[in-house]
Amino acid sequence: MNLVEGIFVKPFQDMFGAPDFLIQVLWEGLVAGVLYALIALGFVLIYKSSRIFNFAQGIMVVFAALTLVGLYEKGVPALLALPLTLVVMFLLAVAIERVVLRPLVNQPDIILFMATIGITLFLIGFGEIIFGGENKVMITEQLFIPTGSFTFEPFGGFVSIEQKDLTAVIGAVLLVAGLILFLNKSKMGRAIRALGDDHQAALSVGISLSTIWVLVWFIAGVIALATGIVWGARAGVSFALEVIAFKALPVLMLGGLESVPGAIIGGLAIGILEKLFEIYWGQPLLGGNTETWFAFVFALIVLLFRPQGLFGEKIIERV
Amino acid sequence: MKKLLKTTLLCAALAAGTVLAAPAIAQDSVNLPNLSYRTGPFASTGIPLMNGQRDYMMMLNERDGGMNGVTLGYEECETGYNTEKGVECYEKTKATGIVTQPWSTGITLQVLPKSNVDKIPVLAPGYGFSAMQDGKTFQWAFNPPASYWDGANMILQAISDGNLDSLKDKKIALLHLDHPYGKEPIPLFEQAAEKHGFTLLPIPVGLKEMQNQSAQWLQIRRERPDFVLMWGWGAMNAGAITEAVKTKYPMNQFVGIWWSGHDGDMKVSGEAAKGYRAISWSLPNSQAPAMQDIKKHIVDAGKSMIDQAGGEFDWVFYQRGVLISAMLAEGVKVAQEHFDAKVINAEQLRWGLENLKFDEARIAELGLEGMIPPFSTSCADHTGHSGAWMIEWDGTKFNKVSELLTADRAAIDPLVETAAKEYAAANAPWPINEECKM
Repeated sequence: MNLVEGIFVKPFQDMFGAPDFLIQVLWEGLVAGVLYALIALGFVLIYKSSRIFNFAQGIMVVFAALTLVGLYEKGVPALLALPLTLVVMFLLAVAIERVVLRPLVNQPDIILFMATIGITLFLIGFGEIIFGGENKVMITEQLFIPTGSFTFEPFGGFVSIEQKDLTAVIGAVLLVAGLILFLNKSKMGRAIRALGDDHQAALSVGISLSTIWVLVWFIAGVIALATGIVWGARAGVSFALEVIAFKALPVLMLGGLESVPGAIIGGLAIGILEKLFEIYWGQPLLGGNTETWFAFVFALIVLLFRPQGLFGEKIIERV
Repeated sequence: MKKLLKTTLLCAALAAGTVLAAPAIAQDSVNLPNLSYRTGPFASTGIPLMNGQRDYMMMLNERDGGMNGVTLGYEECETGYNTEKGVECYEKTKATGIVTQPWSTGITLQVLPKSNVDKIPVLAPGYGFSAMQDGKTFQWAFNPPASYWDGANMILQAISDGNLDSLKDKKIALLHLDHPYGKEPIPLFEQAAEKHGFTLLPIPVGLKEMQNQSAQWLQIRRERPDFVLMWGWGAMNAGAITEAVKTKYPMNQFVGIWWSGHDGDMKVSGEAAKGYRAISWSLPNSQAPAMQDIKKHIVDAGKSMIDQAGGEFDWVFYQRGVLISAMLAEGVKVAQEHFDAKVINAEQLRWGLENLKFDEARIAELGLEGMIPPFSTSCADHTGHSGAWMIEWDGTKFNKVSELLTADRAAIDPLVETAAKEYAAANAPWPINEECKM
């Protein structure tokens, strides 16, 4: 097999030769994409309202999931542990606004970015002291998340869909729909958007910066909890979950840092494309593990043609 | 809250202990630093191992007043399994420490050349660079009681019932962390594939993909290998087991190296992972006298950091940590007796580690019966080649399911010789121990 055939012929032969496998690849890509989109949304919301690139989003996923499991391990019923975790995430949002962000208002963006690195380090240490660093089992069944699988046999093959993955996709869709509804229809949601559009104008009409910051950090916390439950159900809850936040970076590059639809579409696109590339091109031609770099290269190529990302705002500055 | 308070107090005590111990080190202590990783993506693997190491050293100090009256100063430097931080820890601890325990193949490879200059023994039990077996070339490095190449060879023996030729025309996937550790067994597997006629399919897993291995397991579904062997660490293990269950890959054809046989990882899949096996040079035996002494002096006294409610005391990794400290403590003892000294230095410890003798009698004397196979080291052999057992997950714990397997030295030694020569040539001028006549 020569290289040209390997790039242009063989992958498509494989796709059409085993369509059931292709469906499985697309499904796995979709699930990963939904999860990337969720993480990216956490970044976008905070950036949109405060121009802060929240480095702590990854550790918030870990912290939220550990709080949920930790409360359950302390004897709190799962269905009570869930709202209690939300309370903890709200308190965290309030604490971040009061202790970190409020004293840094009007500081350069880089200072605020550095502050989120500080939040990350604090949450790592604090989380480890309280919950320990061991791998914990996500309370999937206790939260009534189904754990079986559906198996289909299309085209004489088979496709297996994990019920918890399906639940994750449905849950993520509902969460995103709710978020879009909130941002567009509610007073607070519009205030967040107003702050994102023009800080000065929003402040001049009486929108409270501190209230909005608490709100967006809390929403980011809710998203972190949802992400933590879904990822934790796959391979346990540990500090290793933190690294998945890095998967959101190319999504942000692709979708634009300020665009909610960009995060969603960017996440889905990267999830599906990286899976297709890995299976049909990466593994046969490059020895695999292309998922570690594919998304970044893809985002860079897009940026060559659209420097603001697919949905980012085109900023023209006069000099 | 009680655990939080306990953990905080322990951390404070540990910190205070380190500070208070400092002036005493020069008097009646030997400092044995450990480049630990209790934080980061690999913490779930590191914590029970470090707890085991720490508790054994503390037990010796509590029960026996140290080793021959000398306090064993156990000091951790946190690396998070990060190579750069590991090198920093090495530099930080080398002035007072008489050993370095790098706890990562990546860190081991970085400190290996430095150890020759600094004259500090590198102790990497069951990990590191397999060619460290060659004690003449790697005078300061030790990887007892078995190397990764030993492990790879023994796994091949286990899956072929001792007849490696029966693997002809079979396909064996190697699911490995894309890291020096994960790549370490590849030369041995490649050589065996060529000799015995099986196809080797290396499948790397990146750090960011450890918890989302769907692409790797789709490849396994497509390629349908006869066996999947795993060189996983930390969260990668639980991720792979979960995907194997999801893919419905037969668990009896899925075998891991000793760092992929961790109770904490298996609990995520529980019953569904029943039948998964790993090779292990250590076995848990909570009733062994040394373990009971740890329970009495450390755990029951509230001085341990283990998760008692989670059953950590009985875990394979906790008790392997105990064995690792036992090897180091034995090295100290052997050196003390040979040099007729109490407070030994790094060079003397090197001699001690080079003359370890864990025979049945000594293992029993140490109270570690049934936990480790006999082995001994020499100036030419820094590994000892203890052999190992297969352990199998029954849904709640690992059980021994094989007799002791031993690595085929005829398959490994030529590879070691070549790799050691290549390493020495690449790092020339590299000192060779000409005094060793074995």
